[in-house]
Amino acid sequence: MLELQVNGKAYRVDVDPTTPLLWVLRDGLDLIGTKFGCGVGACGACTVLMDGQAMRSCVVPVSAVAGKAVTTIEGLSNDGSHPVQQAWLAESVPQCGYCQSGMMLAAVALLKHKPQPTDADIDTAMTNICRCGTYNRIRRAIHAAARRNLYV
Amino acid sequence: MSSPVQAGACVLNRREFIHSAASVGGGLLLAFGWPVGRLEAEQNIPTTRSPSAFLEIGTDGTITVTSPAVEMGQGGHTAMPMILIEELGGDWNRVQVKDAPAGVVYNNPVFHQQSTVGSFSVRGWYAELRRIGATAREMLLQAAAADWDVPAGELNAANSVISHPTSGRSCHFGSVASMAARLPVPQHPTLKSSVDFNLIGTSPRRVELSKKIDGSARYGIDVTLPNMLYAAIKMSPTLSGTLKSFDDSAAQRAAGYRATVPLPDGMIVIADSYWQARQALAQVNVEYAPGKLAGVDSPQISQILRAAFTEPGAVVRSEGDAPAVLARLPNTLEAVYEVPYLAHACMEPMNCTANIDAAGCEVWCGTQAPQGAQQAAASVLKIPIEQVRVHTQYLGGGFGRRGESDFVVQAVMAAKAVGRPVKLIWSREEDIQHDYYRPAAAIRFRAALDGEKRLSALECVVVTSSAPTRIGAGPAFYTGSIADSNYSYAVPNFRVTGLDKDLGVRFGFWRSVNESHNPFMLEGFIDEIAHHLQQDPYQFRRSLLQHGRGRRQLAVLDLAAEKAGWRNRRAGHALGIAAFEAFGSFIATVADISMKGPEIRLHRVVTAIDCGVAIHPDNIQAQLEGGMVYGLTAALRGQITLANGAVEQTNFTDYRMLTMAEMPRVECHVLPSTEAPGGIGEPGTAPIAPALANAIYAATGNRLRSLPLSSHGLTYSAQRT
Repeated sequence: MLELQVNGKAYRVDVDPTTPLLWVLRDGLDLIGTKFGCGVGACGACTVLMDGQAMRSCVVPVSAVAGKAVTTIEGLSNDGSHPVQQAWLAESVPQCGYCQSGMMLAAVALLKHKPQPTDADIDTAMTNICRCGTYNRIRRAIHAAARRNLYV
Repeated sequence: MSSPVQAGACVLNRREFIHSAASVGGGLLLAFGWPVGRLEAEQNIPTTRSPSAFLEIGTDGTITVTSPAVEMGQGGHTAMPMILIEELGGDWNRVQVKDAPAGVVYNNPVFHQQSTVGSFSVRGWYAELRRIGATAREMLLQAAAADWDVPAGELNAANSVISHPTSGRSCHFGSVASMAARLPVPQHPTLKSSVDFNLIGTSPRRVELSKKIDGSARYGIDVTLPNMLYAAIKMSPTLSGTLKSFDDSAAQRAAGYRATVPLPDGMIVIADSYWQARQALAQVNVEYAPGKLAGVDSPQISQILRAAFTEPGAVVRSEGDAPAVLARLPNTLEAVYEVPYLAHACMEPMNCTANIDAAGCEVWCGTQAPQGAQQAAASVLKIPIEQVRVHTQYLGGGFGRRGESDFVVQAVMAAKAVGRPVKLIWSREEDIQHDYYRPAAAIRFRAALDGEKRLSALECVVVTSSAPTRIGAGPAFYTGSIADSNYSYAVPNFRVTGLDKDLGVRFGFWRSVNESHNPFMLEGFIDEIAHHLQQDPYQFRRSLLQHGRGRRQLAVLDLAAEKAGWRNRRAGHALGIAAFEAFGSFIATVADISMKGPEIRLHRVVTAIDCGVAIHPDNIQAQLEGGMVYGLTAALRGQITLANGAVEQTNFTDYRMLTMAEMPRVECHVLPSTEAPGGIGEPGTAPIAPALANAIYAATGNRLRSLPLSSHGLTYSAQRT
């Protein structure tokens, strides 16, 4: 039995400790906003925050997050009001939307670390893949969230 | 200034049966009913099914629109209702959107399939959805007019409110919806004049967007049912392989293991959780008979395509006498272009959930073809299609891949094997290695120039894969816009020949379909002709468009060139241009690059489009930009290669997608237009490859006639400053 802390709630899960966190979140805790994209940490659709840092949950065994605070898209806000979510809406970023949970969490981690990121900072931090080609809108949304000084 | 038009004049016979009924809550329900038209009758589609709703107006004023287009990010769930609500005069903020179930009434009026493909949703449904909206509006107005004892012609409808300016009376749609439901259905409602549009042409927030920022949007992969098991799949590495034998004794001892389901070409393992299913599947030893693709490598595919140029093919276009002119004129050019197989790589891997019960079968999946999914499930279970209910979910990318139903067949087989609901999820490796690939293709061009340095003859021999059993198959289809008599460039002697080569690799529709290869090749060759004639490539294209049907193409060509600064390019920069008609829209793109050694430095992409009436301008921008990224990714490094009949690429690690850091600046300019709507999902994908290759020629003098560009030793960066 493993103890997890996800979105401020404590969970006890009975799974093989080598199971990737992604599948525990999705199939165990019904937090389906975190997506499966590649299974090898290459696309970032499964990005969640672990103690505020972005990480790809498809390659992190659930045992590695014991004692850490995990945040998924569902934990960003109760009502879609997180500044990054609002910026995503204002820029109409999502198309198919499948990668966007991971994108938003990667952006939250970036803005926490660099409240006023440059384009180069965004290029370095935002390595998730979007097949719909929403990158320029993502960039604009990150700058818009930053301009409002919401993280300062 | 356009005048109101009668809808009845421009619709198909089968659609002249809009039924009205009271909805469950007593409001107005409009549905398409039967009898069906000729096409459905020919296909022996039963006519006993009940009408299926397109529009419901509740007594509380809620407006529910059933979208005949699925939502895969292209904006169908917003654009379809917008068209209907425009005519209805409904309150956009009260609109709810549902996915259509599988049903013939949702067949696209233009190509008669219930498929969200071919950038056809708005094009196909524009007239129909307007007619439904106008029908409902007239019924609501009639109901209010009867209630108030005034002529209906004196009433207006806007934002779901009916008003009578003379008396100052007004009421909400909801209050007359049940009365309207009892009225006869007007057969020839009057449509709005386009100058009176106040929703079409605006960009309201896409209806599903709020669900896509908080994780609550439900995709196929998110479906969860009580008592559900999970399935993982692995198919024969060799694409033609068939299952010979397997040993699952180790898998049976794995935690959570439930069942093994052998497939003709692969293996499914079912377990209590998806991760357990994957782990158990990895312990199955399988032997495949490799089949006819054993020993086939990509270079052989290329050789087969190129060897076919001299074979007799199907002549799909012939004007003048191109062969004779080519034989007569001394000034000729010849070139061969080629593109490789491509995978779709939707972000959401293929998946489907199925359950079989006494009533038949239910399937849940993201699909572009609900009836395809329905038929696939019915064929596995050998039950009538009416016993299969399809629940379409949001698609985490479609791009043509989800028009196929292979994953539905597999999920239904799995559910049948265990007698419980099963969710099947493909790995990314299976997705890359078992796609319906954009087929490899090659074209041999020959051109003859006359003494006046004019393009006198053009001959195109197109070789690719096609299958007679599928919609849109055959040379006339895959030669696409080249063979279309509306092809914009004026060439007096023009011959297009198509040759099918079934190479044994399964193939399908990939965003922009045949336009994913033809424009790269043809616009490259047109560029070659321009340079051969020592003419500016933009001006040369202009010279081919000086005729009536070239008008719209010329306008976008000029706009793209102007916005990209064709005449005042920056020092050290090279521009490449490409233009063509696709999916009912006219498009032109300019790539602005510089070269640093082998590195393509892309500074800016400028696109201009005439897509007719713009329904949702912001979504058009998004689709053009996103489509461009899809095409750019493929142009730079997209290729699926075969070694011994197996796909060599495995995942995003070696089938690499464009990233944020590689994203160029993009400008999209939409020409104001009152023409019928054209497609927007696919046109943007095609022009970047030729624009880029033509820019590289302008910069280096090196003509690149095959993709991806990385295969020519070129690297890439985006330069956003």
